[in-house]
Amino acid sequence: MKILAMDTSSLSASCALLEEDVVLGECFANVKLTHSQTIMPMVQSLLSQTRIPLEAVDLFAVTDGPGSFTGLRIGLSAVKGMAHALGRRCIGVSTLEALAYQYRGVDCVVAPVLDARCSQVYTALFRWNGNQLTRLEKDSAIPIAQLEKWLKNAGEPVFLVGDGAKLCYNSMKERVPGIRLASPALQFVRASSVALAALPDIANAVEPSALVPAYLRLPQAERELLAKQKISGDGK
Amino acid sequence: MIQFTSHSTAQTEAFAARIAQKLRAGDVIACRGGMGAGKTAFARGLARGLGLADDVSSPTFALVHEYTRGELALYHFDMYRVSDFDELYSTGFFDYLGQDGVLFIEWSENITSALPEHTILLTISPTGEDTRDIRIEGDERF
Repeated sequence: MKILAMDTSSLSASCALLEEDVVLGECFANVKLTHSQTIMPMVQSLLSQTRIPLEAVDLFAVTDGPGSFTGLRIGLSAVKGMAHALGRRCIGVSTLEALAYQYRGVDCVVAPVLDARCSQVYTALFRWNGNQLTRLEKDSAIPIAQLEKWLKNAGEPVFLVGDGAKLCYNSMKERVPGIRLASPALQFVRASSVALAALPDIANAVEPSALVPAYLRLPQAERELLAKQKISGDGK
Repeated sequence: MIQFTSHSTAQTEAFAARIAQKLRAGDVIACRGGMGAGKTAFARGLARGLGLADDVSSPTFALVHEYTRGELALYHFDMYRVSDFDELYSTGFFDYLGQDGVLFIEWSENITSALPEHTILLTISPTGEDTRDIRIEGDERF
């Protein structure tokens, strides 16, 4: 079974082609360019380098959130378009779970972190034990300060991974000595990890029309703060 | 701080075109000024000063207009109708912050707490029918 996986949910973009759990090829870029302009040429180049035609792909996997509003829509639209045209099924994978998969094979606790701006992050907690992944916290949108509490209470070293990992590591390392920063080679979402995270879920693959982005609502307090600042008078 | 008194829309545009020469990728300009203050005229001047060939108009309905026909792109937002964090997220604002262009934000009053550090503040205040007091506050360039 050939799986084409794609991720455009955060700062970087990548796509990968797998035969079951063998990575046949992967493309990755983290260059601040618009994902809508880079991802399809990237898929084309991946297919031509692996010499596998798009028609040979059996299943599509894509990160469906949390993440960047525009990024999630780009990835989901691209996958929906290809899967619909070929009549294939799709699997939506949590961006945070895909990031946790980058530590597969290492017994540890992982905190995937995506920068949601304004001192907020999308995060979760996972534990790897052998090849068993256990979710300790659900995908959440929380202030960085709350993540700091989670990490302090973890009681063991926690690996930070994701486009918000460095930001959190630098802001907390003095107060939370147990945190570790992922290697630059692992820091951003790799589409191969998206495919690996999708594999146990193959039985639940859906029609492309059933794929929907899983946006997470940002913390309540912040939303209210903005609402209060809505200017008055001056009707437009 | 840079302060300028404009006596016409044309002068506002010309002043903005001069300010554009100081801008660089990643700059965020938060504009304050009521109806008819000249915010869109200022944006038009910025686009001209950046050498962008695009037509500039108020993004009231689209929320954001992209002007990309030049070296340094300008992203023109109107936050008038944005009233909470989820709405701001779904304008794609946070995604534009990470890109190599200049952001110009009308009605930035509505998203004060979401503006990044080092935001350049632009205030346009009417002082007469056609005269405007324009103030720009930011780093050492201003």
